[in-house]
Amino acid sequence: MTVAAPALADHAFLRGMRADDVARLAGAAVAVSMPAGHRLFDEGAPAEKCWLLASGHVALDLHMPGRANLIVETLAGGDVIGFSWLAPPHEWQFGAEVVEPAEAFELDGATVMALCDRHPELGYQLTLRMLGAAVQRLQATRVRLLDLYAPPGGAGA
Amino acid sequence: MIFQAVPARYRVASRAAETHDTVTLGLEPVDQPIAPHRPGQFAMLYAFGSGEVPISISGEPGGSGLVYTIRSVGAVTQALCEAGPGELIGVRGPYGTDWGVTDAAGQDLVVVAGGIGLAPLRPALLAALAARERYRRVTVLIGTRTPDDLVFADELDIWRGQGADVRVTVDRATVGWRGHVGVVTQLIDRLDVDPAATLALVCGPEVMMRLTARSLLARGVAADGIRVSLERNMRCGIAECGHCQLGPLLLCRDGPVVSYERAAPLLSVKEL
Amino acid sequence: MDGPIPADGPLLMEAAALDPLLDALREAGYRVIGPTVSDGAIILGELGSADDLPFGWGVSLEPGGYRIRRRDDSAAFGHSAGPQSWKQFLHPPREKVWSARRVDGGFEVEAAGEPAAPLAFFGVRPCDLRAIEIQDQVLGRGQHAGSRYAARRAGVFIVAVNCTEPGATCFCTSMGTGPQAGPGYDLALTEMVTGDAHRFLIDVGSLAGADMLAGVPTGPADDAAAASARSAVADAADRMGRSMPADILHDLMAGSESAARWDDVASRCLTCGNCTMACPTCFCTTVEDVTDLSGDHAERWQLWDSCFDLDFSHLHGGPVRSSPRSRYRQWLTHKLGTWHDQFGISGCVGCGRCIVWCPVGIDLTEEVAALQAEARQPAETPPAEAPQPRTGSEPS
Repeated sequence: MTVAAPALADHAFLRGMRADDVARLAGAAVAVSMPAGHRLFDEGAPAEKCWLLASGHVALDLHMPGRANLIVETLAGGDVIGFSWLAPPHEWQFGAEVVEPAEAFELDGATVMALCDRHPELGYQLTLRMLGAAVQRLQATRVRLLDLYAPPGGAGA
Repeated sequence: MIFQAVPARYRVASRAAETHDTVTLGLEPVDQPIAPHRPGQFAMLYAFGSGEVPISISGEPGGSGLVYTIRSVGAVTQALCEAGPGELIGVRGPYGTDWGVTDAAGQDLVVVAGGIGLAPLRPALLAALAARERYRRVTVLIGTRTPDDLVFADELDIWRGQGADVRVTVDRATVGWRGHVGVVTQLIDRLDVDPAATLALVCGPEVMMRLTARSLLARGVAADGIRVSLERNMRCGIAECGHCQLGPLLLCRDGPVVSYERAAPLLSVKEL
Repeated sequence: MDGPIPADGPLLMEAAALDPLLDALREAGYRVIGPTVSDGAIILGELGSADDLPFGWGVSLEPGGYRIRRRDDSAAFGHSAGPQSWKQFLHPPREKVWSARRVDGGFEVEAAGEPAAPLAFFGVRPCDLRAIEIQDQVLGRGQHAGSRYAARRAGVFIVAVNCTEPGATCFCTSMGTGPQAGPGYDLALTEMVTGDAHRFLIDVGSLAGADMLAGVPTGPADDAAAASARSAVADAADRMGRSMPADILHDLMAGSESAARWDDVASRCLTCGNCTMACPTCFCTTVEDVTDLSGDHAERWQLWDSCFDLDFSHLHGGPVRSSPRSRYRQWLTHKLGTWHDQFGISGCVGCGRCIVWCPVGIDLTEEVAALQAEARQPAETPPAEAPQPRTGSEPS
């Protein structure tokens, strides 16, 4: 189902983006409804899309032999899912599965890259936002690594 | 506060293991009971021959009983965690400031707990749920290390049934965990917040409280709408040994619950 | 200390009347503590008779230096800043708080007993009198009214001695604590030695004080004697060796968290804690829980502690105040600043002991002056050296 620009503009990820850039993106977007259990992608598969999650709850996971799928991070409404489409080897590093029924805007990677080549301003805005989301996740991951809830004397208080 | 020359003796009436290193003890008085705790207050618990540690009240048992949830991290807490039903424990207290949860009447109450920090918050939450109609939304955000480290795990659905929106996130998932994985501040980022009418009660490791407060401030909650439970070395609990100082505050008397407006400048000074 | 202060004017007594006064105190059941010479210092010990007082002894004081010296008169109270203060008697360095023993089904706890004889403090300087008042506020009032400190304090008889000869390290005037004793004494003496005449002006501060003089040869002081004593004390106020800007100390400390001066003092401070031991208001303690070998008998002891100790601020595996810089800052900003926030009063009485007994001679009046000077300067951090661009070619 194609996406109307105003619906896309509402998404937290695109807040502040110029209307004409949003409209360009809307042309590359499809609105999807995903039931619980639906796998968006699997580790190792070609990374060709990304999603702007509007609602619901998606888990990034890793398959570990003898241990089924271990969740490494969960994402919810407002989050962007998928960075691996941006750069070589364009392969998913983790898998992703819907935990609670999710609504999202699915963006085709190749189309979005072509749009950015033709409209550098769009490319710049998208890059800034992707970078921002990645940095936030990096910071959160660093805090998780601190293992704050470990017994005192181990991690810092 | 009544000056206690010696600890009051209490008998362990119940002992429940919350996790591999955390135990909840239910105590009944042997000697004259101490005054009832207000949520957020603490007592100095004495294990015979071992010493005393400050532990926050973690429940509302009713009557003259007391409930404490203790994590085994040293000699004294280990002795307390090993105490079985019938054994005696010494109690001095209650000391310190309370959460003041009724200040959130008519507003949204957001409780953010990190790890064992859920224990000092639990009495405030139970009090709010017992008078649920006084509050608008009641949200509980819990961050914990792994699903196995979650305390009061079997109560979360009860709290949901009583009108709390309870969300749990883990730093690291174990097999079979289908809930959130990530830092507790990510739950705040995604929360629907009414900044002008929110009281947030935050308890956990100091770094977690600073980051949580930062996220809440970023959502527009005022610094005086955020309360944290601070911790420093405590030896007497009655403001006469000098150990628990944090700048102008004596945390056994002016804390442990402190408004973030007051706490923020103090927490930002290294080695204060 | 109870009852209205008698309205009659001051009394006069000869030095020879000191013994009858000490006898009266002992007969009333007091253990009398006062200054006495021992081990090359003027310490506080039990007085058997007036002969135990340090007649003719004075002190030479400087940062990190204390020597007793022979005076050229026979004054008994011509000295100051001894290594100890009265806090060792009211707030002992080691004290059992309670003991516990295992019994069937658990344990029993018993508060430690109270000491037997009440104390009479003989020769309390005005600064030390204020220090006692400060510790009363911290340890003996409000929620502490039932404490061991309060019980010990209630029975103390105080004979203060006004200062006529300040030490080089004294600054009680600027801290508002002397050289005239404030309220809180039962009797206050002002010593007057001229040639062979050795007399004391006596101000009566309480009914108990008046009663104690019953068997002591005294007479009403004539105007000349009274005037001479008062002016000697008033003169002393202008002869202090040092001074402090007391009225701005709280705010100065509050604003000095990141002062560069702390690094300077930290390069000298040994964090030995002598200052906290010698200071008459420092009150911090720690607790020790000990058992005997059988494990059936446990005791809780309270000991003096110092914020300079690394273990003092131990939290979750390490000290919060790890650097000497942070520990010196804690001590000074607490003493002069946050003490006000916590107790409503200043923690410093200007006795100068910390200056004298610091092994490296750190002088807090000097540190305060430096902090004040630093606070007055506009923030003048020199711009950091900008990284030089690499040219990629060799300099020609």
